[in-house]
Amino acid sequence: MEELVSLKGVTRTVLLPDDQELHILRGVDLAVHSGDHTAVIGRSGCGKSTLLNLLGLLDLPTSGELTFQGTPVRQLHSNARAKLRGEAVGFVFQQFNLLPGRTALDNVVTPLLYARGPAFWRRREIAMDILDRVGLARRAQTLPNMLSGGEQQRVAIARALVRRPRLILADEPTGALDVDTGQSVMALLDTVATESGAALITITHDVNVAALARACYRLESGVLTPAAIPAGVTA
Amino acid sequence: MTGIISALVEAWQELRINKTRILLALLGVALSVAALTSVVGLGNLAREGFKAASERNGGRSATLGIGVYGPTQPDPQKLEDAYRGIIDRYGIAHYTHVTQAQQGFQFPRGVQQVQLQVVDPGYGVIHRLEVSQGSWFAADDEKRLAPALVVSEAFYDAAGRPNLVTNPTVKLAGGRATTAVMIGVVPDLYPEMPPSAYMLTGAAERAGAAGIGGAGPGQFKFWVQDGQAETLKAAVTSDLQRQFPGMQAQVDRMDYASQGDPFATVELAVGGIAGLVLLLGAVGMLNISMVTVRYRVREIGIRRSFGATSRRIFLGVMMESVVATAVAGIVGVMLSVAVVKNPWIQSKIAPGLTEYPAFPVEAAMLGLGSAVLVGALAGAIPALVAVRIKVIDAIRF
Repeated sequence: MEELVSLKGVTRTVLLPDDQELHILRGVDLAVHSGDHTAVIGRSGCGKSTLLNLLGLLDLPTSGELTFQGTPVRQLHSNARAKLRGEAVGFVFQQFNLLPGRTALDNVVTPLLYARGPAFWRRREIAMDILDRVGLARRAQTLPNMLSGGEQQRVAIARALVRRPRLILADEPTGALDVDTGQSVMALLDTVATESGAALITITHDVNVAALARACYRLESGVLTPAAIPAGVTA
Repeated sequence: MTGIISALVEAWQELRINKTRILLALLGVALSVAALTSVVGLGNLAREGFKAASERNGGRSATLGIGVYGPTQPDPQKLEDAYRGIIDRYGIAHYTHVTQAQQGFQFPRGVQQVQLQVVDPGYGVIHRLEVSQGSWFAADDEKRLAPALVVSEAFYDAAGRPNLVTNPTVKLAGGRATTAVMIGVVPDLYPEMPPSAYMLTGAAERAGAAGIGGAGPGQFKFWVQDGQAETLKAAVTSDLQRQFPGMQAQVDRMDYASQGDPFATVELAVGGIAGLVLLLGAVGMLNISMVTVRYRVREIGIRRSFGATSRRIFLGVMMESVVATAVAGIVGVMLSVAVVKNPWIQSKIAPGLTEYPAFPVEAAMLGLGSAVLVGALAGAIPALVAVRIKVIDAIRF
């Protein structure tokens, strides 16, 4: 399996207003390959989202080595990182983060506005296909506030997948959903990621979500350690 | 290329979603553009109207008028001969001798005194007279038994607006009771203009029009090419001076073009005011764009997470402003065209014109260009603010 992302001794430190350093991540090692489904679990404030930002090329490590598809990320200019992010990474957020006032279809089209060539010119057709895949073709012209939570998250998943990313990053994807809806959304995410051969990294504190992964890590006080896949607990 | 098109698509989408907010912001811009464009358009119309009026009074560029002055009046026949001599010597194609007289005409409501201008056929070319009906004098009109008349609209109204095809006649009041034929109508220079008429010199002499020559020799005018005017002025002055020793010969430009553009200052002042209004519109637009960017921090973060580069975010935010003001500019220009091409306004601004000029392209370009410039200026600052937003903070906003 091809190595997609690799973190070696990665740290992330921020300077607080009182000039104290806050160490969010400490010596994190992680390798993610195509087709992996990895869960990262941990309590709130343990650094899960910071790790996700690094994996998604939204942030740079303070020290250590982060490579994406073999390229050291630190060497890339911010615009090159943005382009790589657009092409290879799809985000699914806890609060869905759909653009208000735009239909489900327009939301799914959004990432394709930053694509080039046929992907840009055929954007509506591609977006409709992916909406169909998540079972929302009939709701394509509906505004987000008229969709249920589960439907909104499915639109968000369609938006994350529309550019066929190599890596899907899901930040608490079921955090705003009830257990049943959360499970069906995770099943969908897992299915489409497997079908497309993309790696899926789910950041969660929900053991039911982590139970669906094929590898699990625990993040505690900024330190990432392998963990056993938890047994699912149904509500 | 795809980047610019997709930025335009994104901008248009944004405008569509926030149309009410944008419409309010753009109202000022559209009105300012309409004002700016109308100033240029109406200025152009007024200039054309003024030019037509000036050409009717003084002649087109370059019209030369000759005069000979001295302790006594120069001999009229000698002056006429000198005039004819100049025409022959310099091969001048368009010339006229103009004298004015008050002549009574018998109208359906009684006799009315009319300002009669006695001219040569060249007068029509020199003064760019355009008839609204009928025709101007031809050379052989002088041979008509019943003298031909070209009349003003006011005269035509007083005569009861008869059909010119029927060769309508009007009687000259006075000793010989001559009947003249109306062959053409020229528009009035201004509203409520008293009736006036034109008659050819030979015809007027035969008809015994009252007072011809009574007010002096009248004016002798030539129309020459602009480039030849100064050379001819010197040559004709010298000729006349030789023919009228002891008197002062003078040749002057009589046309409007020799007096500079009387509208330039007014147009500059009104255009300056319209520019200030446009600037106020830009400030309003900037204000709303700044508020909008703050409101859209999260959205910008989401776009960045899907691969939008900082350059693309800058272009997108700026394009929204540019596309919006361009649309406002088009609306403003259309509004201005509606104003400038309004028949009532045209007749008030330029009453002397029979055909109004087309809407000036430069006015439309100025309006549209200003709108786009305002959009770029008002969009640049919010775009810079948008670029400085940190993606991670923005997503959590």
